[in-house]
Amino acid sequence: MNAVMLVAGREIRSQVRSKGFVIGLLVTVLVMVGLTYAPKVFGGPDSYKIGLVASERLQLPGDVEVEWVEYPAEEPARRAVLAGEVDAVLVDGARVLTENQIDDRLALMLQTAHREAQIAAAGVRITPLVMEALSPDARYADTRGDIAFVLVLVLFMLIFGTPMMVAMGVVEEKSSRIVEILFAAVRPWQLLAGKVVGLGVIGLINLVVIVGAGLAGATASGLAVEFPPGMAGIVAGVVGWFVLGYLFFALCAAALGALVSRQEEVGSVMTPLTTVVFAAYAVAFYAISEPTGTVARVVSFIPPFSAMVMPVRTAAAPTPLWEVLVAAALMVAALVAMVVLGGKVYERAVLRTGARVRLREVLGSR
Amino acid sequence: MLEVKDLRKSFGAAKRALDGVSFPVRPGEIFGFVGANGAGKTTTMRIIMGVLEADAGEVTWQGTPIDFTTRRRFGYMPEERGLYQKMRVAEQIEYFGRLHGLSPSQARKAAADLIEQLGLTARANDAVQTLSLGNQQRVQLAVALVHDPEVLILDEPFSGLDPLAVDTLAEVLRGRALGGVAVIFSSHQLELVERLCDSVGIIARGRMVATGPVDELRAAAGRRLRVVVADAGPDWADGLPGELTVENGRQVLTTTTKEDDQKILRAAMEAGQVEYFGSEYPSLSEIFREAVA
Repeated sequence: MNAVMLVAGREIRSQVRSKGFVIGLLVTVLVMVGLTYAPKVFGGPDSYKIGLVASERLQLPGDVEVEWVEYPAEEPARRAVLAGEVDAVLVDGARVLTENQIDDRLALMLQTAHREAQIAAAGVRITPLVMEALSPDARYADTRGDIAFVLVLVLFMLIFGTPMMVAMGVVEEKSSRIVEILFAAVRPWQLLAGKVVGLGVIGLINLVVIVGAGLAGATASGLAVEFPPGMAGIVAGVVGWFVLGYLFFALCAAALGALVSRQEEVGSVMTPLTTVVFAAYAVAFYAISEPTGTVARVVSFIPPFSAMVMPVRTAAAPTPLWEVLVAAALMVAALVAMVVLGGKVYERAVLRTGARVRLREVLGSR
Repeated sequence: MLEVKDLRKSFGAAKRALDGVSFPVRPGEIFGFVGANGAGKTTTMRIIMGVLEADAGEVTWQGTPIDFTTRRRFGYMPEERGLYQKMRVAEQIEYFGRLHGLSPSQARKAAADLIEQLGLTARANDAVQTLSLGNQQRVQLAVALVHDPEVLILDEPFSGLDPLAVDTLAEVLRGRALGGVAVIFSSHQLELVERLCDSVGIIARGRMVATGPVDELRAAAGRRLRVVVADAGPDWADGLPGELTVENGRQVLTTTTKEDDQKILRAAMEAGQVEYFGSEYPSLSEIFREAVA
């Protein structure tokens, strides 16, 4: 166990010290915080500048900020619209002038406010409708979709990227023949376990920083108010699924990496793994919009796809706990199989330098 | 004692790499392992270190077959050097010490001592990839030595080193042997092997063709008489035993005979000017050439 920790410690230290790691973390933090502010910046303006020519101000909804500008005549108002100084001009309480096609939301608000003003002037009082969504899903559907979208990207990046680092490390040790010296001191499983654990810690640090930056950014930008209930469970689930998925793919990557002797060959030998991860990515992406659809439901049970699809499904829509647990149990079973299989391939292939080792050769009886 | 017993290894049906390799190495002994390229040196060493599995035969240390636990007390320098290129020198040596079971303080001390001994002090905190190949090789050696191994298996440790580095390394190996370590190293530098080793093993085409202390091998090969004659005709030695060659325009007769030396001297003096007449033991290179031929 001591040897495993030593190997893991070396992996962690060598990653943390590299410039790429620190810069990568900083960039992800910036991107995450940026994302949480994105709805504010790109979500359409909540404030309008409206010009008035011989018109009364309209009673617009309370959450919309309006700056009113009075113009003495239509001509200067038209010029102001074309110059982009105001979003719209209300002329004679009857016509609205805009530079281009009017923004739907503004049109609706102005129309409604105008109608209400007319009705009120006629002495009729109406109580506005009270909106109430009964399904708990509906209220948060949009936010859930956004969270799921970010999760798909983050999980894809980490579940694909971190095992690739494992593969690169395995090939580095194999091609430089360091394994030959290492195996005089540690057993193959210790080296493999240490490497997987060490880089897993690096992956977890990345994940925690990304999720943490996202949550912190959301709190600061006020986006967190719209988070669905059970956010803690979603986050815990993401971490859990990352660990399971990472371990599975990392062992697979180590086994495949052990087959080749040169860094240039890593890409081609990884094709099976890459294909599976990309397929999982595609399904997970689809699950954002159809989290309760048959495809998402079925695939979220199948390891190793479940590692990416289930957390996305859980984020995109409430998912029964038993389904999550069954999927997790299946994933753990697949992981155990991968420990046995991947460990065997790694141990048998990593000392065979030279031409690419065929899977059949190492899996056959010996 | 480290005993290599009747190792056999084939790569595929066609290529037989080892065909019954056996030799002993005692604690405190430096064993020089020599042979032509592809003769089986590296394969033998890789089998000792467990990197390869032998088809038959075994290697024992102190009477018991070598396993993982025994091997952790061995130091190994493979033919193809392998270090973590981006790791710092001191840190790397320490790391291997720790992997071999040293405590953090023991590893730090052992690394510091080796760095000083091998003249790497100025580079201790540099990444390995910034070092010259010769210096990287010193680091590689330090990695093999850091845990005070009982047995050292070094594949071509001297190749690519400058004469000063060769001296340093020879010094270190002698020191370790004096401390009771069994040292095996392979080399093509036969003069060096002759100077440094207590015993040698000559391997050719997967078989040991000669094994033993250098002096014994030389004695066994026998004294040779060497006669150098200037201005002699090519037929001056007709009827005399031995082999006639031409070196720098001079006739050179080499023979193992002991009885006819006076007769040869007379013939030589009649044929021309005798520049050299004497008997000597063959050098290791000569023994090697003969054994491998």
